[in-house]
Amino acid sequence: MFFGLGGVVGATVAADLLPLFSGAAVGNICDISSRLSRESIALAYPAISVSVWVIALAFAMLAGGIMGLVASYPALRVKEEWFLSMILLVGGETFRIVVTNTPEIGCGFNGLDGITTPFYWLSNYLPSGPLQAEVPTGLYAAVIVLLAIGCFVFAQKICNSPYGRLLKSVRDDKVAAEALAKDVSRVRKQIMVIGSIMAGLAGALYVYYIGVATPEDYIPALTFGIWVMMILGGYANNRGLLLGAFVITMLDRGSLVSGIALESYFPTLNSNLIVYGRYMVEAVILLLLLVFRRKGLLPETRVKTKAYTLFDFGKKNAKPSSQPAEVPPKGDATTG
Amino acid sequence: MTDEPILLVNGISKSFGGVKAVEGVSLSVKKGSITGLIGPNGSGKSTLFNLISGAEKKNPGGSIEFDGKQIDALPPHKRSELGMGRTFQTPRLFPGMTVLENTMVAPRGQKGERPFVAPLRRRWEGQEVELAKKAKEQMTRLEIDKLYGKLTSEISGGQMKLAQLSNALMEDPKMLLLDEPTAGVAPRLAQDIFQSITNERHERGTTFFIIEHRLEVLFKHVDTVFVMHQGRIIMEDKPEAIVKDKRLAEAYLGI
Ligand SMILES: Nc1ncnc2c1ncn2[C@@H]1O[C@H](COP(=O)(O)OP(=O)(O)OP(=O)(O)O)[C@@H](O)[C@H]1O
Ligand SMILES: [Mg+2]
Repeated sequence: MFFGLGGVVGATVAADLLPLFSGAAVGNICDISSRLSRESIALAYPAISVSVWVIALAFAMLAGGIMGLVASYPALRVKEEWFLSMILLVGGETFRIVVTNTPEIGCGFNGLDGITTPFYWLSNYLPSGPLQAEVPTGLYAAVIVLLAIGCFVFAQKICNSPYGRLLKSVRDDKVAAEALAKDVSRVRKQIMVIGSIMAGLAGALYVYYIGVATPEDYIPALTFGIWVMMILGGYANNRGLLLGAFVITMLDRGSLVSGIALESYFPTLNSNLIVYGRYMVEAVILLLLLVFRRKGLLPETRVKTKAYTLFDFGKKNAKPSSQPAEVPPKGDATTG
Repeated sequence: MTDEPILLVNGISKSFGGVKAVEGVSLSVKKGSITGLIGPNGSGKSTLFNLISGAEKKNPGGSIEFDGKQIDALPPHKRSELGMGRTFQTPRLFPGMTVLENTMVAPRGQKGERPFVAPLRRRWEGQEVELAKKAKEQMTRLEIDKLYGKLTSEISGGQMKLAQLSNALMEDPKMLLLDEPTAGVAPRLAQDIFQSITNERHERGTTFFIIEHRLEVLFKHVDTVFVMHQGRIIMEDKPEAIVKDKRLAEAYLGI
């Protein structure tokens, strides 16, 4: 839901601002002519292209955050994380259907295309050939990786702090946390907003990558896919999430590429089986995990603040030291 | 101890479906006192504490006043912010954390508890070390400092009770509601716990309101005792007077 919203908002902002900044008429952003004009503006004006991209990302994050705040109200009323997943799944599907049937939002069913990467203009400076398309895309992919690393580091730092401890306490025992004056609703809202800001960002990045925001991309399988990623790696472990995302994305892209490749060798083979077969594989993985390993492959991580290292924590049968302050801190335990 | 009340409960009730767990209870607890709450199993003691701390919602009607403020509309964390701490009959500790980390959850207003300060380790690390020291002193007072590196799943029930008490004491509450602080604790340790409670009262002026089944220990340390039976307060008196009253035995024998 937040991913899709970020995508649609990002694309719409980009489609409106590109002509606006370059002095061209905005017109109907869904027209084929406006799509062509977007592409030529992106090619001609590097500065506008990049700054519109930044603004589009900012709006996508803002939209994701606001939506996250709104969604946190029903989310606060459910006790089990599985019900929360249901809310998000239903919310995502509602979003998709609304967008599909509302031409005013992201051009409805047709989607909004002609969203080039912010480095499209680089192709002016490159010799004609495949490089013209690949360099801007490759550069953009590198930027995405950097942003992803940034998000991961942020998440790791948050987890290994008093806030991480607070999050765990709120998750594990609401009543006990409240008895210690923790505002549980507030914490849940905060984390929901942070998560959906990240999802909004991801949605806009994705749209800029594939060049089109279309409701078809926001089918429930997307939510399920993310769900599988989470459960696979272990959802209380940031590295686990990364592992899950890696495995599922590889499965996803791998099946697509291999399906197409196989079909070119064996024309009789129906590549759909391989390309869409991934959904079946994902479903099987999900079921197996739910039955045998509900907590995922990697275990939950401990919160690593000084409280963890200061008194020799984490070690079995640690000897209490009478002068804790003199125990040398064992270096920064933060990872990532 | 003064004559001024810190807690004033007026005509509150709670029913679970058809079960009337608490029925029109009114009582007052004096500031700086150690007050006991006793009564047979199922008489509604824990439920009464839940109503006072806000963990359960009372039926409409009646009122609860704490430290001069009307608190019955406040959510539990707000009541705790006002200085009302509590422990639970079945210890509620955070799993997957050490005893010290549990106690470290308790301090309020930690800089690193704000999501956008949390990534900036330097901004909160100093405070974290201070709080860890304070938590350790707290544990030393309760003689559980040897447990600080143990996971909460590795300690005994009695130790859990103490760890819980340590969490609740971290923020220097004005009043503490303790639900059976010595259940599952060795007899000698039960004496020690009450000794710590008495010390805490003298040193910091904390008010204690305690549910306890070990009457012989409780009676040695309390100023006043309430007896609850079938959701109602049936007696309020000094412990010396309560032991002599035959209504106590009657309540416990279920007559
Ligand atoms: N959440 C609940 N749902 C339904 N009934 C409840 C609930 N909590 C308590 N009760 C009922 O309310 C009554 C009072 O229970 P409560 O736990 O307050 O008693 P208690 O005096 O603390 O007993 P004990 O000494 O055994 O701890 C009991 O009959 C109990 O079954
Ligand atoms: Mg009880």
